[in-house]
Amino acid sequence: MDRETVEKVARSAHLKLTEEELEKFSRDLVDILGYFAMLDEAPDCEGFGIDPIGVADVLRDDEPRMELDPDALLEGMDTYDNYVRGPRLL
Amino acid sequence: MSQTSVLSSLSEINEKYRMFRTITSETDAGDAKFLFSAKDNLTSKDMETCSGSRILEGYRPPFDATSIARMREAGGLLVGKTNMDEFGFGTFSTNSAFGVPRNPYDLERSCGGSSGGAACAAAVMEGHVAIGVSTGGSICCPASFCGVYGIVPTYGRVSRYGLLDYGNSLDKIGIISSNASDLGKYVGIMAGADPRDPTSCVQPAIGARRKLESVAVPKGAAEGVSEAVRKAFADGLEALKGMGVDVETVEMPSLKYAIPAYYVIATSEASTNLARYCGMRYGHQYGDLSLKFDDYFTSFRSQYFGEEAKRRILLGTFTRMVGFRDRYYSKARMVRQSIIGEYRSVLRGCDAVLTPTMPFVSPKFSDISIMTPVESYKADILTGPPNIAGMPHASVPCGYDGDGMPVGMQFVADHWDEGVLFSAAEEWEKNFDAVRPEVSI
Repeated sequence: MDRETVEKVARSAHLKLTEEELEKFSRDLVDILGYFAMLDEAPDCEGFGIDPIGVADVLRDDEPRMELDPDALLEGMDTYDNYVRGPRLL
Repeated sequence: MSQTSVLSSLSEINEKYRMFRTITSETDAGDAKFLFSAKDNLTSKDMETCSGSRILEGYRPPFDATSIARMREAGGLLVGKTNMDEFGFGTFSTNSAFGVPRNPYDLERSCGGSSGGAACAAAVMEGHVAIGVSTGGSICCPASFCGVYGIVPTYGRVSRYGLLDYGNSLDKIGIISSNASDLGKYVGIMAGADPRDPTSCVQPAIGARRKLESVAVPKGAAEGVSEAVRKAFADGLEALKGMGVDVETVEMPSLKYAIPAYYVIATSEASTNLARYCGMRYGHQYGDLSLKFDDYFTSFRSQYFGEEAKRRILLGTFTRMVGFRDRYYSKARMVRQSIIGEYRSVLRGCDAVLTPTMPFVSPKFSDISIMTPVESYKADILTGPPNIAGMPHASVPCGYDGDGMPVGMQFVADHWDEGVLFSAAEEWEKNFDAVRPEVSI
């Protein structure tokens, strides 16, 4: 995989790679995708899903409940005045 | 050794073997019925949970994973969180940000991965119950390398609530122990429907134990494995025949596609799961707030994810991209369905599919350091197929090489048919002369 493609993929994945990482991952991904090419010869098949077993929706009654203490959830988080601090959107 | 004595020796044991990321501060086992550890990707109220990653340093979950909660309810005392490859990304536990567990049979060798710390704890402390997690081989590989028993139940058998996801359609929580009887006992405690994980809610009850009467060995299963593994596996087959088990050879042509298909699905799922680790909410926070929105998140991820995590995020992001999705992700799901079909077809005529667990005994760290990623991924060639298929499987020790390193063999049963694996492991244990590692503390 060329460096430009790796850079594009990395940007999409929110990763900033060093020059050394770009070189290394470019080489590695060529090698790995070369190995994955054997999938091209695998036969197609019908009826494939997301999970290896059959799953069904499990719905509960729409009743409000509080299983976790909200204060406990905020512990260890960067907060101020009951807000979670984060980077500027604009 | 009493349970309280075990507690007081944990730090010393860990200094030598480095199997724990965190150890309990409890010094008295009190009326605990048993001691257990959990892989560090399962949330626990009283201990940090980092999944082997620096990005989660300092994260203390406010709740227990269901598997841990059920073990506690059964009288278990959680003694520590075991070391692992970062987010489960590895076969040798060398990709942890918090040290590398050492094989109790030879400290210069790996415990396997990614539940390497769990298998190490099970091998060093007789009777210890270690909760492991398998996505593509992370229970059976370390169980094999450390000469202990490991079981991966059917996908969905044990609730994944509280598990830091690697691959949602692949992750399975199981048990590693030096005692075969622990597999059924503790899977039974952790199993069962949990409304917090809908995939656990379709399961039938664990069936009655059933004697193993026949196994099928895929043609070529012992091809490409080391001579020592081939010999121990052949001896294992002869021993099974001596126990009255029928052995037949079968064709399973789809298995050769399991590893690339597994890595495509696993990294696709992992690359989306790991999007949540971005310097807010979990672990490392307090970054440079003058950065732009995207740059802020990118800065944490670039600084704190390890090399293999970055490699798998890149791979999984690529294989899901428009233009490549059908070739990789959709095709991998088709391969998974073919493999499930092939297992089911074979298992209509026998109780389990049998192969060696790993293609070689535990390698030395010096050899692991020069492996390419593809060489490392190919080590999962025998553990990958049942994992991608969500089939229950168990590794049992079946011999030792000339250096005394353990070899394992792996039984695979049909979905929900753990009962035959529990029996097989227990019957095998009665007939196998295990050589325990010499543990000097």
